[in-house]
Amino acid sequence: MANDVLRATIRDLFRFSLSFRFGSIILMIVGILLLLSFFSPFESDDRRVVPRNKPPSQEFILGTTGSGQDGFWLLTFAIRNTLMVSGVAVLIGRSIAVMVGMLTGYLGGKTDRVISSIVDSIIVIPRLPLLILIAAIMQGEMTVLSLALLLGILDWAHPSKRYRAMILSLRERDFTHTAIFSGMNALKVVVQEHLPFLIPLLLADAVAGFLWAIGVEVTLSVLGLSDLGTPSIGTLIFWGNYHHALLRRRVWILAAPIAASVLMVVGFYLVSLSLSEYLDPRTRLSRLTMEE
Amino acid sequence: MARKLMFLFLLVVFSIPTFVGVAQLPVDVPREEVFVVDVIITAPVPNNHNFWITGPHPLVTHSLIMENLWIRDQETGERVMGAAVSDPVYNDDFTQMSVELRDNIYWSDGVQFTADDLIFTVETVKATPELNRGGYHANLNKSMASVEKTGDFSVTFHLTEPTPRFHAILEARWGALYMMPKHVFENIDDLAAYTYMDGPYLGAYLPVEEDPSGVWQLFVRRDDWERSPAGIITGNPGPKYILEINYGGPDRKVIAMSRGELDVYYDSDFESFQSTLETAPAARSWYAGFPWGYMGEVSTRELIFNFGAENQPWFHEKDVRWALALALDIQAVVTDYMGGTAKLTNMPVPTTPALTAIYHDPMEEWFQNLEIEIEEGVMYKPYDATIPDQIAAWAEAEGYEVPGDTRAVFGSGWWAHAPDVADRLLMKHGFSRDDGGNWLTPDGNPWELEVLSDTTSVQQFHFGNAAADMWKDFGIDTSLSAHERTLYTSTKTTGQFDIAGDWFSFTLVDGDAWPAFNRFHPDLVVPVGEDSRTTGGHATRLTDPKIGEYIDAMVSISPDSPENFELTTEMLQYWVENMYSIPIVAFNKFVTWDERYWTGFPTFENPSSMPLYWFMGGKLTFQNLKPVDS
Amino acid sequence: MTLLKEFILPRFAQWLIVIFVGVTITFIIPRLSPVNPVTETLARMQMYQNIDPEAVQAMRATLLDLYGLEGSVLEQYVNFWKRVLKGDLGPSLASFPLSVNQLIGVSIGWTIGLLGTSILIAWTLGMTLGSLAGYYPNRWWSEGLEKSLITVYPVPYYILAFVLLMAFTFYLPIFPLIGGARGTAAFTWEYISSVLYHGFLPALSIVIGATAHRFIMAKALTTTEKSSDYVQYAQMAALPQRKILFYYVTRNTLLPQVTDLSLSLGALFGGALIAEFVFGYPGIGTTMYTAINNGDYNAIMGITLLSIVGIATASLLIDLIYPLIDPRVRYR
Repeated sequence: MANDVLRATIRDLFRFSLSFRFGSIILMIVGILLLLSFFSPFESDDRRVVPRNKPPSQEFILGTTGSGQDGFWLLTFAIRNTLMVSGVAVLIGRSIAVMVGMLTGYLGGKTDRVISSIVDSIIVIPRLPLLILIAAIMQGEMTVLSLALLLGILDWAHPSKRYRAMILSLRERDFTHTAIFSGMNALKVVVQEHLPFLIPLLLADAVAGFLWAIGVEVTLSVLGLSDLGTPSIGTLIFWGNYHHALLRRRVWILAAPIAASVLMVVGFYLVSLSLSEYLDPRTRLSRLTMEE
Repeated sequence: MARKLMFLFLLVVFSIPTFVGVAQLPVDVPREEVFVVDVIITAPVPNNHNFWITGPHPLVTHSLIMENLWIRDQETGERVMGAAVSDPVYNDDFTQMSVELRDNIYWSDGVQFTADDLIFTVETVKATPELNRGGYHANLNKSMASVEKTGDFSVTFHLTEPTPRFHAILEARWGALYMMPKHVFENIDDLAAYTYMDGPYLGAYLPVEEDPSGVWQLFVRRDDWERSPAGIITGNPGPKYILEINYGGPDRKVIAMSRGELDVYYDSDFESFQSTLETAPAARSWYAGFPWGYMGEVSTRELIFNFGAENQPWFHEKDVRWALALALDIQAVVTDYMGGTAKLTNMPVPTTPALTAIYHDPMEEWFQNLEIEIEEGVMYKPYDATIPDQIAAWAEAEGYEVPGDTRAVFGSGWWAHAPDVADRLLMKHGFSRDDGGNWLTPDGNPWELEVLSDTTSVQQFHFGNAAADMWKDFGIDTSLSAHERTLYTSTKTTGQFDIAGDWFSFTLVDGDAWPAFNRFHPDLVVPVGEDSRTTGGHATRLTDPKIGEYIDAMVSISPDSPENFELTTEMLQYWVENMYSIPIVAFNKFVTWDERYWTGFPTFENPSSMPLYWFMGGKLTFQNLKPVDS
Repeated sequence: MTLLKEFILPRFAQWLIVIFVGVTITFIIPRLSPVNPVTETLARMQMYQNIDPEAVQAMRATLLDLYGLEGSVLEQYVNFWKRVLKGDLGPSLASFPLSVNQLIGVSIGWTIGLLGTSILIAWTLGMTLGSLAGYYPNRWWSEGLEKSLITVYPVPYYILAFVLLMAFTFYLPIFPLIGGARGTAAFTWEYISSVLYHGFLPALSIVIGATAHRFIMAKALTTTEKSSDYVQYAQMAALPQRKILFYYVTRNTLLPQVTDLSLSLGALFGGALIAEFVFGYPGIGTTMYTAINNGDYNAIMGITLLSIVGIATASLLIDLIYPLIDPRVRYR
């Protein structure tokens, strides 16, 4: 049943939302670039394999870098790594968030109040200085995976609050009571009746997680605090700056990662926008009227 | 309400262009009266001129307001008189050192500098543990028994034991123990907490204004600049104002110079320097054309082995070290990776004119005859004296003109690119190649090598890249690990590397080795995991007792004596034969200045003083400047 | 009384939790560091001078004592709390003998000024434009505004700032490269105008993102409010549109926005940090950047701690204003 709801949602979205159409096309392009990285003729740490600092041409569509790497293939690796970092971060963060949200939402009472106030406190803590501190302390030990983990651990408080609110409202709905009176056990109610409502919210919310993680990845890399040996959107910018790409008028070296990051985030954002619009009952109502 | 705010916002936006066109220096002085100087670090302790406590101060400030007894010119190797007027004079057993002081220099409040100031300085520093910048407090306690006034302008130091290098405390390389104004400091209770912001100062400039967060500092020339050592030596007034400013990384410096907001910078790299040439028409470096940069700082850039690395036990095999050196194509390193703007050196002493005359030239014949044993009885001469010529040929093919003798421009010869010899050297010790041509270690595993490199030091990063690439091509599974300065340094000093880029010189500019070389003493070696800096030892962790014997022998020899140079030469030969490190180039600082407002900066054609302006000798560099108009 | 018990006390308890968590985290993290501040400092002293190895050993003993790294971890933790409660963030490792307090003291004013002004501008702009766009959703300007802000909104903060920097200091060099003002502080038009001029680009980079965020939220809220009954009545009563929007609708949309501000303060602060180091602005972001480059982890720690406490306090204050503007909370 969850699958059907999902499929119907996506079909509806495609039909009615311009931003979803745009967003998903952009994300598709990003996805293709990501997949292409697996077919790259070069390894991600190969240097001096092509002439240095060549502007975009038929042979090198995104030019070449100061260490003799092909801009296009390097970018595919960068997209893959950045998305991997943010993907893992989102996965970890949202898993914690769902658990905390459900725990507080279903249990209620004192547990809810205690956990909720802890969550509220954690939301207030500014994360960037904390991340900088941790990254500076971890020094060279920071790998792509540990960065992802770190981001995940720091990004659950806000979403958990949203899930809790959702569950609270679901719990009070008629169908929940009906299901429970008709003898369904609690777990079944949650999985079959509530999850379908939570999933679109989760999706829209995951996007917020992606945006944040991508931004932090870029910031930490530019500060030289991430694993500089692994290509990512952030490290590409770091090395572009390092080789003075803009001063030497080699705009392509920086333009590629910057454009890719903007594409990525805008794509994600448009999709999430359309999702939350879709979730909003009032717009749903107006959609229904349109259909008539 | 909203409309009003909107209006206010638009007002701010549109009033912006009215600010534009104003000179954008942070201070209000006529642009043609100020020389704007780049410092690479922001003064973390602003508003503090106490140069006797530990803690970093702005790099350039000391040469403007402070004096040492002597300054060692890093270009010529000559001793320049600071507050002293005589060389240090020792007695026969080096237990006494005497010095004559200038009788014509004054503090900025008009009080004359005398022997009392010097005596007050050393006695105060000796008695106050907090005044331990550069370890002077500890050093004085170790070597100085007492100090005696022998005249108004002459002083004799009595030493605790024979110390032929006692004067090093008072002689600036970058800096040394600075003179204190006795008539002011004797009334200060807590000198460690004293900020010394109001002078009086002994240098030719006075601080006038500074940024509260330490980004810039403005200095004005003393009215009586002729009563300071720099004024006496040069006889030139120099710029009225000097502004020290930290714009940040190379990009910002280049932009600042293109906007006419910076007159001199250093620690750039070839690429950003090229941008300066394009965007600031009057800018230049040491040479008027190729290869531009100044390569005379007394420091070499090299690759060091980690002799403590458990995963690379074969580093202890001399042949393996030689094999790695011979697998490098040095001509390509210099041309491909550094654009030809580098000066080679084949030993850990840079090829500056002074040191080339002391060591490289006399040793040239020995290098040419040097042989290593490939297999039993098969000898090979690795030295290739023609490498500077090869680089010159490349430069000419690129359309550059080589400004002089190839050896003077590109440095010494180096080791030939001989991968075949390297092959045989490795095989001799049980290394082998697999089917793909990749090297296997004697225990049969793929040979993995990590090259640690410092991204902050661009030149070193470039040849770190080159070495990693070339060893990879040679069949070693080599990776490059690049970190910024702090992390690179701690990784290196705790021994978490196989091979690392590094910089040092075995000798000072006058050819004396002990002060710089004592770090390699085997007694100072700490195990991997511990920080080599805790003992003052070196990250390479070399435990050869013979090196220790050389160092011990140097302690008691006078730095000026012929024995000292003979011993150092012998030690250098021993080091090279064993290939204990792979020296690559002399240090290219790319000191770059813009002649839009000021001329008279030292150049290759007119080496009047050292261009390393952030050293103590920089005071002469500044004092020599003349406005462009006159 | 209920207000105190139901609203203020829990909120205050939360604030205490934040402080406790913040202090504990900032204590633990640096102690996992591979970098030893004492050896770092020793190394810095040796940078330009060859020091006698025996002298190095003597210095080491002094420094260990100085940096408060003696005793068991628990003792250190207790001492840490004592120092924090006294408001003492310890010595700066790279700028010794300066304390971290002094480092922060020099720069915090710039950050507060930059952040405060930017938030004010972004709030006013975002609220006004967002409410207008929500109230008149189908006008060309509201759609254009929405589309462009939606595109700018998700762009990573650093990238926005960096593009502004290159555009207006290099390609079109009309803004200063570094600094917060010209000359020394004085109450003159010259100095004040130079502060505005230097702060413009960093503030702009924060304002763009923050305005977009506020705009999107204000628009969504206004759209919701617009369909509520009282607006319909007011419209039927032919009240002036401007009055309906700014007197009734905006008032109601203000409340959730205040809550949101207190929650997004941390993110805005992060933005200010990035803006400062990108534009060489003299606030604590730049101080932190310098500390990163110098490996001055005590300073990074101090700044992190201060920002946690500062942001928590600021958001507490904002939340305490809430009952003043929302009668429902007051009379519950």
